[in-house]
Amino acid sequence: MAIFLQFIAGGLFFGGMYTLIALGIVIIYKSTRVFNFAQGWMVTLGAFMLVTLVEKLGVVAGVIAGLAFGALLGLGIDRLLMRPLIGQPLVAALLLTIMLAEVFEGINILAWGTFGYDMPVQLPGASIKLGEVVISHALLWGIGVALVGFAAFSFFYWRTPIGRVMRATAEDHQVAQGLGLPVRGVFSLSWVLAGLLSVIAGLFLGVVSGVHYLMYGALLGALAVVLLGGLDSIAGAIVGGMILGVVQSLVTGYLSPALADVVPFIVLLLILIIKPYGLFGLVRIERL
Amino acid sequence: MDRPAGVFDIRYEQDMAVVRTGPQWGLLIGFLILLAVLPLFAGSYFLGFMILTGISLVAVLGLNILTGYAGQISIGHQAFVAVGAYTTAVLMDSFHWNFWATVPLAGIAAAAAGVLFGLPSFRLKMLYLAMSTLAAQFIIIAFFGHAFPDYFHAVSGIRVDRPELAGIDFRNNEAFYYVVTGTAVLMTFVAKNLVRSRLGRAFVAVRDNDLAGEVIGINVARYKLYAFAIGCFYAGIAGALHATYFRSVNPRQFPFEVSIWYLGCLIVGGMGTNVGAVFGVLFLRSIKELVTFVSPILGEMVSPINAPKIGPALGLISWALVVILFLIFEPRGLAHTWEVLKSRFRHWPFKYAI
Repeated sequence: MAIFLQFIAGGLFFGGMYTLIALGIVIIYKSTRVFNFAQGWMVTLGAFMLVTLVEKLGVVAGVIAGLAFGALLGLGIDRLLMRPLIGQPLVAALLLTIMLAEVFEGINILAWGTFGYDMPVQLPGASIKLGEVVISHALLWGIGVALVGFAAFSFFYWRTPIGRVMRATAEDHQVAQGLGLPVRGVFSLSWVLAGLLSVIAGLFLGVVSGVHYLMYGALLGALAVVLLGGLDSIAGAIVGGMILGVVQSLVTGYLSPALADVVPFIVLLLILIIKPYGLFGLVRIERL
Repeated sequence: MDRPAGVFDIRYEQDMAVVRTGPQWGLLIGFLILLAVLPLFAGSYFLGFMILTGISLVAVLGLNILTGYAGQISIGHQAFVAVGAYTTAVLMDSFHWNFWATVPLAGIAAAAAGVLFGLPSFRLKMLYLAMSTLAAQFIIIAFFGHAFPDYFHAVSGIRVDRPELAGIDFRNNEAFYYVVTGTAVLMTFVAKNLVRSRLGRAFVAVRDNDLAGEVIGINVARYKLYAFAIGCFYAGIAGALHATYFRSVNPRQFPFEVSIWYLGCLIVGGMGTNVGAVFGVLFLRSIKELVTFVSPILGEMVSPINAPKIGPALGLISWALVVILFLIFEPRGLAHTWEVLKSRFRHWPFKYAI
């Protein structure tokens, strides 16, 4: 029983990380209809950047600089790569983010090499003991930050004026533009938010399991999370993330770690066959 | 379709012909002769380049049918190449089959795998389907890595012998070059004609507007599966050649990056044109070779400690950046540039080209 709870806790942590990454993808998809395939690679790049910045500047300044880097990264992608593609089919943008993922991987190898790093950040607090279950404080931090991040974004999205502009843009680009809303500004803001989220996810993943250029392999599971929850559903990101995190953790513990690597993709295939628009996604009806 | 002045079609066969004029026949035959005599004066390095290009070309032609013509984005094509390679390797290693007998089976096995992972395409399109092929990439490679260790030998890899036919030993690259080039030419010919047929037109209809296609009587789901079967059949053939060229098969030879590289070849060349597939593969393969050549020198110049990692990193960055630039500045790819060039040449000295 204790082992079971241990796996659940670990699963919730990875679920939280999946949530942060999936949230980034969902935000971008909702407002721009672009599926950001490179989100996992952005997390890896952000984590590497944090390692370097924290070593140079200290923890607080380093993390702030890392977040600034994430925001700039998102802004740069939007302004330099996505904006020239406006007017082209959406496939082009999807293909571009796929290629961007490869560029990021190349940059990671070029700048940081192929060996692992430890994230030089000590999270405050100590691991707690519930009966026989020992839960590391890093896990609690990760789960907590994922929940807080999710709640903060939900509040921002549903209750603030800027959130309302984002929702209007998500509904229909042309109508939003016609109403005088800053559609391109919303695009940029979405990318900036996704960049921030990727750096936050990179920080906690780095603390728990180190930073390595192959980190994205584990993060591709976030794509399954997005589809499981529904591509345009913000609540789906957290539900899907937690489900997948726990399932994957249980498979690692009770069946085999090799199988656990494939679990996200099996979930992905099943969800595509059974319920392609996800648990909470909007089913789009096509008309001629 | 532009054609030189004074060439008129008076029979339907002429109108449908791919090669129309005397000079075109001359160029084609000259090119084939050039391909045939290449091993006589090419060095072993260039020969290896040509063999790898040929193998990639077969795979990319398949991807072109699947993604370029039928519009089903696949980001797991290398997994189907792996299915072909493993079919050949296991049949030769464990069951002692003849290589030539395994080649069609490699194609059929890959086609079956393609249809299996293409099944979600009944209800899905675009992005969702791309995710299904992503799942194919990782599930298939993990399957070869962990299932049936007696047959797949995931750790040590399967050893594959090069074939022999009519006294010719294909163990040297000069002879094997003819196998690869012959296959590539044949597959290009088939692809070129396939997309002009009823099947190819149906693919284009599915790609351009699947609902309209359905309305005019195309069974969209069935044609999507045909596209998967044919595209992955090509991948399987490429896999059989891959296995015999490298003489061993292991799961690490089929990474995700290569699947994306195939897609990149297609974008650089121009989606939905066969000549684009050829240009794209040649272009990106050349960039790869250039980087392999330049990066050690660059590494020595910049920082000798980091020299070993510069090669793979620059390799990834360079081709992916090239593809991004093509996406932004020339989405129609090199095939379009080639058309413009031909048109300029035809109309010279007049300026009103395309």
